[in-house]
Amino acid sequence: MTAEAQGVGRSTEPIDLQALIETIPALVVCALADGSAEFANRAWHEYTGCSSPELTGWGWHAAIHPDDLPKFIQEWTVATAAGKPFETEARIRRADSEYQWFAIKKALAVSRDQVGEPSLRALIACEDIHERKQAQARIQQSEQRWQTAFENSAIGIMMRDRVDRFLAANRAFRNMLGYTESELYQLCQLDVTYEGDREFNLELIGELWEGKRQHFQIEKRYRRKDGTLVWVRNNVTLVPGTGAVAPFLLTIVEDITERKKEESERRYIEQRYGVMVETASDAVVCIDESGAILLANPATTKVFGYDPTDLIGQPLTMLMPEYLRKLHEDGFRRYSATGQRHINWQGTELVGVRKNGQEFPVEISFGELTKDGHRVFTGFIRDISERKQAQRAVQNAQAELARVSRLTTMGEFAASIAHEVNQPLTAVTNNASACLRLLARRKLDPEVLRSALEEIVTDGTRASAVIARIRAFIKKTPTERKHLDINDVIQEVLALARRELSDNRVLLELQLTKALPLVLADRVQLQQVLLNLIMNGIEAMTAVTDRRRTLWVQSQVDGAGDVLVAVRDSGSGLGSEGDHVFTAFFTTKPNGMGMGLPISRSLVESHGGRLMATPNSPHGAIFSFTLPAAAGRPT
Amino acid sequence: MTQAPMVFVVDDDPSVRSSLKFLMTSVGLQVESFDSADALLKRKLPDAPSCLVLDVRLRGLSGLDFQRELAARHCHMPIIFITGHGDIPMSVRAMKAGAVEFLTKPFRDQDLLDAVRIALEKDRERREREKEVSDVKERFNSLTPREQEVISMVVSGMLNKQIADQLGTAENTVKVHRSRAMEKMHAQSVAELVKMIDKLESSVRP
Repeated sequence: MTAEAQGVGRSTEPIDLQALIETIPALVVCALADGSAEFANRAWHEYTGCSSPELTGWGWHAAIHPDDLPKFIQEWTVATAAGKPFETEARIRRADSEYQWFAIKKALAVSRDQVGEPSLRALIACEDIHERKQAQARIQQSEQRWQTAFENSAIGIMMRDRVDRFLAANRAFRNMLGYTESELYQLCQLDVTYEGDREFNLELIGELWEGKRQHFQIEKRYRRKDGTLVWVRNNVTLVPGTGAVAPFLLTIVEDITERKKEESERRYIEQRYGVMVETASDAVVCIDESGAILLANPATTKVFGYDPTDLIGQPLTMLMPEYLRKLHEDGFRRYSATGQRHINWQGTELVGVRKNGQEFPVEISFGELTKDGHRVFTGFIRDISERKQAQRAVQNAQAELARVSRLTTMGEFAASIAHEVNQPLTAVTNNASACLRLLARRKLDPEVLRSALEEIVTDGTRASAVIARIRAFIKKTPTERKHLDINDVIQEVLALARRELSDNRVLLELQLTKALPLVLADRVQLQQVLLNLIMNGIEAMTAVTDRRRTLWVQSQVDGAGDVLVAVRDSGSGLGSEGDHVFTAFFTTKPNGMGMGLPISRSLVESHGGRLMATPNSPHGAIFSFTLPAAAGRPT
Repeated sequence: MTQAPMVFVVDDDPSVRSSLKFLMTSVGLQVESFDSADALLKRKLPDAPSCLVLDVRLRGLSGLDFQRELAARHCHMPIIFITGHGDIPMSVRAMKAGAVEFLTKPFRDQDLLDAVRIALEKDRERREREKEVSDVKERFNSLTPREQEVISMVVSGMLNKQIADQLGTAENTVKVHRSRAMEKMHAQSVAELVKMIDKLESSVRP
C-alpha cells in the first residue's frame, strides 16, 4: 500500500491524499514527519470513536493500549532514526473501550500543501489482526496443553521415527526405563527392548510401516538402564505424515510388571490349588447359584461312590439324605436372598449319603466365590466315619473306665455298705430264729410274735432301701442331666460316707449355703465326684494324730455366679505331689488306681465346670469344683 | 451263791441289739444290752459266768479297742465278736486277743448260741479255776512262816532229813510242821500238795 501510494503520488496528477485516505477501509492516521497527527480517516474515527481535536498532536497515541505503548514508541523512535520501515503490533481501543489487536505499519507519503509544495507525511495504517492473534494464542495454548499433558501423563508415551529412533518420550516412560531425556534420544527403541522380545516386536513394526496394519498391541519387556527388566504393554499406532511432519510411531506404554507378577503368582496358586483339589482326600464339590454341581474332584468318587461325571449338573442334594434336602434347600435359598448363614461354614458335621444309599457322617466346610457376577460355592466334604468311630470308642472306654473306677471307689465302701445291709438282715434272722425256737417249745406269745414280725418288716424295708441306694452307684447308668440342688447331692453322699467319717474319727463341718442356684447335672456322676473327694480327704487324715481330723464340706456361689463345692481336710496336704494329683494312674495310696481325681475332673469338666486342688491353711488340702448355674429353675 | 449266767450285748444298732436280746432270751439266757462300750463299763459286773457279744464297729470306742481295754482292767469275760463286714486281719487280731468266736452278720442263730454256750462254759471254768486258786491261796496264807517254808521244801522234792539239816532243827520237828501244814492245806498226799502249789505259782506268775 505504501508503494502504491508512493507510486500513485509519483506517476499521476496530484490527487487529494486526504480524500484518498478517507476511502481506505483500514484505520489510517496521517502524521507529520515528527509523528504528530494531521488527520485520520473515517475508519479510524469510526473505530476509536475519537473526535478530530482528540487526535491532534500525539493525542492519537491515547488509542494504543497503555501496555503496548512504551514498546510502540520505542520501536517508532528507533525505526525513524534509522530511516527504516516500521511495523509492529499493538492493541487499539475501540469506541466501546475494548482493545483489539492491529498490525501497525508506517509509510511515507508525499503530500502537497495548500500552496502545492510537496511535503513529507507519515501514513500510519492499522490493519485489524485481532482474529488472527486470538487464533494464534489458542494454538499456542493448545500446544502447551498437549505438551504438558504428554510430559505429565501417568502412562508412558513416546514417539519414534522410521528408523526407530526416539523423537520424544515423556517422563513416565523415561522413569520406567531409568534413562534421562538426552540419553534416550541417543538410542533406538529396540536398543532398550529385551533381547528375547526384539524379533517379534520388529516384525510388528515392519507390518505397520508396510501399511499391513494401523496399530498393534504388544506385551514385552524393556531392559532398564540398571539392567533389570520391566514388563510393558505397548499400544503402537502409525501416525501418518502431514506436509511438514514425517510419519512416526506413537506408542502408549503401560508398566504391567505388577500385573505380570500377580498373574504368575495367581497361575502358580491356581496350579497348586488345582493339584490340591485333584489329589485331595476330601471330596471337593463346586455348585452354582441354583445348587447344581459344576465340578467334583476324584476324591468324590472315593467318598460318595459317584463318578465325578455322574454328578456334573446334578443337584447337590443328591449327596444328602432325604431328610436334609429340604433343610439345605431352604437354607441355601435364605442365604442367597439375605446373605445370612444358618450353619457354620467351617467344619459343620452333617450326614452324607453314598451312591449305595449308605448314610455316613461328614464334616463340611464351604467357600464362596463370585465369578463374572455369578456366585460359585465350593464344599469340602470329609468322610469322618472313622473319626466318629474312634471318638465313640474313646467315649466308651472312658465310660468303662469311669465305671471301673466307680466300682473301685465302691470297693472302698464295701465294708460300710455290707455293714449297713447286714445289720437289718441280722436283726431279721435273729427275730425269726427266736420266734421259731419259742414256737418249737410252744412258748410263743402272739404279742411277742407280732412285735417280732413288725421288727422283721421294718428291717427288711431298711435293707432294701440301702440296696436301692447302692444300686445307683454300681449300675451302668447312662448319664441323665437333671436340675439338681447340689446340697441334696452332698447330703446323699454324706449319708454313705458317714460311717467312714466316724470310723476314722473325722469331724465333719458342713457349711452349706441355702437356696443355691440349681445345676444341670447327672446325679450319680456328681455323687461319684463328691464321694471321691470326701474319701480322699478322709484318707489324707488317717496318719494325723497330733491335731483334730476335720473335714469341711462347703457349698456356695462363687464370683462368677457358678456353684462352688469345696471339700477341705486337715490332712497331710498336697506336698510336692500337688502337680500330679490330676494325672491318670498317679497315686499315693497302696491300693489306689490313680484314676479317682482324673475321672472326677473329666466328669466335672463334662458338666462345664472345673476341679481344682489348692493347699489348705495351716494343714491339708482343698479340693473344690464349680458347676455352672442352670439357666432357670424349673417350675 | 453263784448267780445265773449273764450275756452282755454291745451293738450300736438298736434293731440288732433288740433282736439279739430276743433270740437269746428265747433260749432262756439272761441278756443285758448296751449301745456302747462305755455304757457297759459303767455297769458293775455280776459275780456270775458271763460273756460279751460285741460288735466290731461301734461309735466311740471300737470293739477291738474295747477288748484291749477290758484286758487292761483284768476283766477276762469271754468275747464273741460280731461284724457286718469282717476281714481276715480283723478276725485274726480278735482271736489272738482271746476272742471266743468271730461271727459275720448275718449268722446262723445256732452258731451264735453255741458260741455263747462255749463262752459261758469257759467263763464258768475260769471262775472255778480262779476260785480254787484263791482257796489254796487262802489256806497257804493260814500257814505259819515256818510251815510255809517246810511246805515249799517238800514240794521241791526234799526229804524230811534234808529239810531238818537245812533248817537246823530235828527231823521230828519237821515232821510235825509238815503234817500240820498238810492238814491246813486239805492235802491228802504230797502229790496233791504239789498240784496246789503249782496252781498257786502259775496264778502268781505272769
